[in-house]
Amino acid sequence: MSEKTPQVLFANRRPGLAASLREFEQGGGYRGLRRALRELSPEDVRRMVSESGLRGRGGAGFPTGVKWSFFPHDAPPDKYLVANCDEMEPGTYKDGELLRADPHQLVEGLLVSAYALGANRATVFIRYDYESAAGALERAIAEAREAGYLGERILGTNFSLEIHVHRSAGRYILGEETALLNGLEGRRPNPRLRPPFPAQKGLFGRPTNVQNVETLACVPHIVSHGPQWFRELAAVKEGAGTKLFGLSGHLNATECFELPIGTTLREIVEKWGGGVWRGRRFKACLPGGASTPYLDVRHLDLPMDFSALEKAGSRLGTAGVTVFDDRTCMLRVTHNLISFFARESCGFCTPCREGLPMVRDCLARLEAGRGTLADVDWLREQVPRINLSFCALAQGAMGPLESLLRLFGDEVLDHVGRGRCPLGEG
Amino acid sequence: MPTLIIDGRSVTVAEGKTILQAAEEAGVRVPHFCWHRALGALGACRLCAVTVLEGPQKGVRMACLTPAMDGMKVSTLDESSWSMRRSVIEWLMANHPHDCPVCDEGGECLLQDMTVAANHAVRRQRGRKRTHLNQDLGPFIEHEMNRCIACYRCVRAYRDYCGGDDFGVLGSRDRVYFGRFRPGRLSSPFSGNLADVCPTGTLTDKTFRFRARPWDLEEAPSVCPHCALGCAVIPGARYRELLRVRADPHPEPNDGFLCDRGRFGHGYHNRVDRPRRARLDGREVPPAEALDALRERVERVAGQHGPEAVLWLGSARATLEANALLLLWARRLGAAEPIFDLSSRRHAAAWVFSRIGAERRASLADVRRADLAVVCGADVLAEGPLLALALRQAFRGGATIHVLDPRPVELPCPAERRPLAPRLLPEALRLLAGGDGERLDAEAKDGLLRVRDALYQARRPVVIGGADLLGPEGAATLRRIAAAGDGRDAKVALLLPGPSSFACARLAASPPDAGEMARRIGSKDVRALVALEADPLGEALPKFAADLGRVEVLAALDCLPTETVRRASVFLPGAGTYEQAGAFADASGRVRAFEPALRPGVPIRQMLDGGHPPRTFSREIPGGEAAPAWEMLARILGLPPALRAVREELERVFPVLRGLSRLRAETRDELLLPGDDTDAPLPPAAAAAPEELRLLLSEPFAGWEILSAHAPDLDVLRPEAAVALNPADRAGLGLAPGDRVRVESEGLSESRIVREADIPRGLVWATRRRGSELSRLPAGEMPACRLRREGDP
Repeated sequence: MSEKTPQVLFANRRPGLAASLREFEQGGGYRGLRRALRELSPEDVRRMVSESGLRGRGGAGFPTGVKWSFFPHDAPPDKYLVANCDEMEPGTYKDGELLRADPHQLVEGLLVSAYALGANRATVFIRYDYESAAGALERAIAEAREAGYLGERILGTNFSLEIHVHRSAGRYILGEETALLNGLEGRRPNPRLRPPFPAQKGLFGRPTNVQNVETLACVPHIVSHGPQWFRELAAVKEGAGTKLFGLSGHLNATECFELPIGTTLREIVEKWGGGVWRGRRFKACLPGGASTPYLDVRHLDLPMDFSALEKAGSRLGTAGVTVFDDRTCMLRVTHNLISFFARESCGFCTPCREGLPMVRDCLARLEAGRGTLADVDWLREQVPRINLSFCALAQGAMGPLESLLRLFGDEVLDHVGRGRCPLGEG
Repeated sequence: MPTLIIDGRSVTVAEGKTILQAAEEAGVRVPHFCWHRALGALGACRLCAVTVLEGPQKGVRMACLTPAMDGMKVSTLDESSWSMRRSVIEWLMANHPHDCPVCDEGGECLLQDMTVAANHAVRRQRGRKRTHLNQDLGPFIEHEMNRCIACYRCVRAYRDYCGGDDFGVLGSRDRVYFGRFRPGRLSSPFSGNLADVCPTGTLTDKTFRFRARPWDLEEAPSVCPHCALGCAVIPGARYRELLRVRADPHPEPNDGFLCDRGRFGHGYHNRVDRPRRARLDGREVPPAEALDALRERVERVAGQHGPEAVLWLGSARATLEANALLLLWARRLGAAEPIFDLSSRRHAAAWVFSRIGAERRASLADVRRADLAVVCGADVLAEGPLLALALRQAFRGGATIHVLDPRPVELPCPAERRPLAPRLLPEALRLLAGGDGERLDAEAKDGLLRVRDALYQARRPVVIGGADLLGPEGAATLRRIAAAGDGRDAKVALLLPGPSSFACARLAASPPDAGEMARRIGSKDVRALVALEADPLGEALPKFAADLGRVEVLAALDCLPTETVRRASVFLPGAGTYEQAGAFADASGRVRAFEPALRPGVPIRQMLDGGHPPRTFSREIPGGEAAPAWEMLARILGLPPALRAVREELERVFPVLRGLSRLRAETRDELLLPGDDTDAPLPPAAAAAPEELRLLLSEPFAGWEILSAHAPDLDVLRPEAAVALNPADRAGLGLAPGDRVRVESEGLSESRIVREADIPRGLVWATRRRGSELSRLPAGEMPACRLRREGDP
């Protein structure tokens, strides 16, 4: 950890202390906003974001510029910009870290993005137990308003914006953007049918852009320093920018680091994570939260970037890396993850509501050594069918299950053959 | 117009249709649970998986959500989609009980069908099934939550389509629960639809519970007689007992929905006290003997004392054919036309309305499509519940609903309300038709002018009136509004009292005059009275009823135990609506035919003396003498007692009925009765009534017509014996809410509890209670009344 990598989002990060407005400004904060409002047209900003290669940091990795190109920026008000800080993906805590460290990053990100999109209302949807982050954000919003960055006619221009902070009642499904919109409207947080997409008909039926906190925070930096600078932050040519990696699991250092996108998994585990704990060896990891397929030792030299991981059959997701040591039963890990997804299902569609509990029970049987080969076959059948669920929740749940059967199939069969967990944990 | 191939069948469908809809048109049934024709696609059940072999998005897709596109090739039988459907069934059946034999839905259960279709026979899942507690949802709907497959049809029907708010989805994940926050009676007047839309035995018709298997039911396409809207229903009977009524899924006219009065109001068919034997001068006789006596006695009275000595009473609930034959009988004897409604105001309104051009009279579908609706002087939820539901669909499609009414009338959707005194309603309507509104105060006028602007700007507006409060002048104004074409597709509707009101009015040659009708009913010269499914003795003002009870020949044809039937010297037992073929014309003049679901006869259940089925033998069906009124009247007139012959004769005599004999019930054909195209002048403004306390009688939801008043299942919905006043009037009279008062009007009185309501001053608002004294007051006349605290002298 001695060697420094470029710190963009975490530049003002101090242990246990949120950066004040003064600190944020001293570090170059609100320069992106000034530049955008005074020198650039909204179209310029959208083009810069598009050229920067920024991809969504919330899990799906959708190119932000493309998403913004769908937004009807000319439509009459109201148009909404929503920051998704639900962050309930197990193994993911980067947005909370960012808000607690430097909440103005999000405030400026919302301002510049709303300007680019022509949105006149901004809302931050924040996880129910992120109270300290919500508090820090609300203080930052108050500071920003005091300083004239928020409210009517910002910096003397015609641009006005208010930011509303909404605390979630707390369910994993609320991270799904259309369920989030339903939750904001006070409805049951079931995902909505697409089309219409939120860009056409989102919050209260109006055009809405939902963006992850970290994604929004990147935008002012792109405006300040240019898209080329942002691309060059990455460690690989296909990538762009830095990424907040939240480390967890069987590592010596389970912290959140800002690293160039495309840093190899080995570097993350060995250098930043301080190596696998208790002198054990690396067995597998979830590269980007609970809904991403596992990587194993064969993938240690992969650059942690969207396209590289997709090629390897996984996804960068939220870059919340959860590492498992060589004494971990992956069947047990998967059972634990599926239990989470089954519990967090909203109950709307059949594969998720009924299929996931059946998978959970089947995994429990196998883990306890009471499973049969027919159970394993049955599990294999389930993956493509549960993948036909209404929203991405159950499809995400299939990530670990599919990779369990693909990468650790022998371990699963061992449970059946021996009638107990081969790692002695069953 | 995309053309696509589904399972080898080529089909061309309208733009915007889904694969599922295209498949239906191609005759390929795609399995589904959550998709419902009227409720639309949801995408929750994932059963409608099909494989798109060629098209922009290849692979397994949900047929209900995927647009049909030109050149698509779709397979429902491909292994990938077939295995998906099999898995959906496996997932659902993992927790669904395996006890079809004791489930009331068995035989008409979509899950049962799909489980069999998916070859699902072995449960691979081990472990216990999920269970729920059931709720008591009241007397109409039974709740068995363990059978739920979470298709969300119930909440979409109850909340979204019907506007109910006390039933919904609770909980999450595999514990989602469909029910009320607490057990209790469902408050929506459309709650019965839950039994129709639920594809499993989770929500079933409690009144029908465990009475028959669906394959044992005798069913037929019929038309609901409980208001004038002519909803398509399918009654079901077994063992000579009418057991249930369900909505016909056919989209027209009622879009597959029913109100609870229509669904649960059929109990009059099975009543133990139903008069089933013909009677002559107090003794039971064969029906033919009573029929002969009726013809002879009426002809004798007419011969001896002139045709004016015979009074014929038609009926809003008798079939079109029976009413038309009654009219024919009166004509043959040279008499004046029958009286079709004891309320001349109602009948006169219907008469005027029935002359409006056919294309300007709004059907339920027109109301559902409307982009603006004005409801004037009509309590739609009571007088035509499905019209209220159609208004809700218009609202859901973006329409604004304006309500002009003295009462805070309920609707299942939000509405812009403008309270107006009853006497101002015709004037308000005149203003909408282009009148000057001189009698309206500035504020009311200002608001109504804004409604008029909206009305003129709307593309598919509908104006709905109530016959009682608007009367013939109001109906004439409706005609004027409909005639003001100027390119807009403006339509009008009038709420009429019964399923034959429109037809009777259309067939009558001249509009009834209130004075003349009173003169005829009250005439001492009346010596014979023929009451076709009418109860003048039980319903007319006492001064008339007393005289009518003393006539020489009192003849009644009916299936209800009414006062007139009890005292008739000639009685002929009639068939109930669902026991006969016939036709009704709905309030918009659309005639639909219906077929009998059962033959008349004493239900076997009522003959189970000691528990066993009867062991005696008979050539006759016990209690099977009842016949359709049109059949009895045809015999009297010497016509063949066959429906086709009757209809052909009626077509010959009444040219407006052309096409009647070709109507088919099973295909839900419609015959739109023509109006006449004479221009409609704006009627003159009515004279203002003097300011004093007036009694405004509203109709109840359960029992607004006499049939549902005789249905025991609806007893829980009878109105409270209350009377509502403006708070200032109440205080002025020195009454407190909850006080018991006698309401006196026209020499009648009854006891009521005082309530407050947001109504204009000077009104005493009460809901009609069948059989009570005040219920004899004619509709819409608003007589002066007095309130006296009970116990006061």
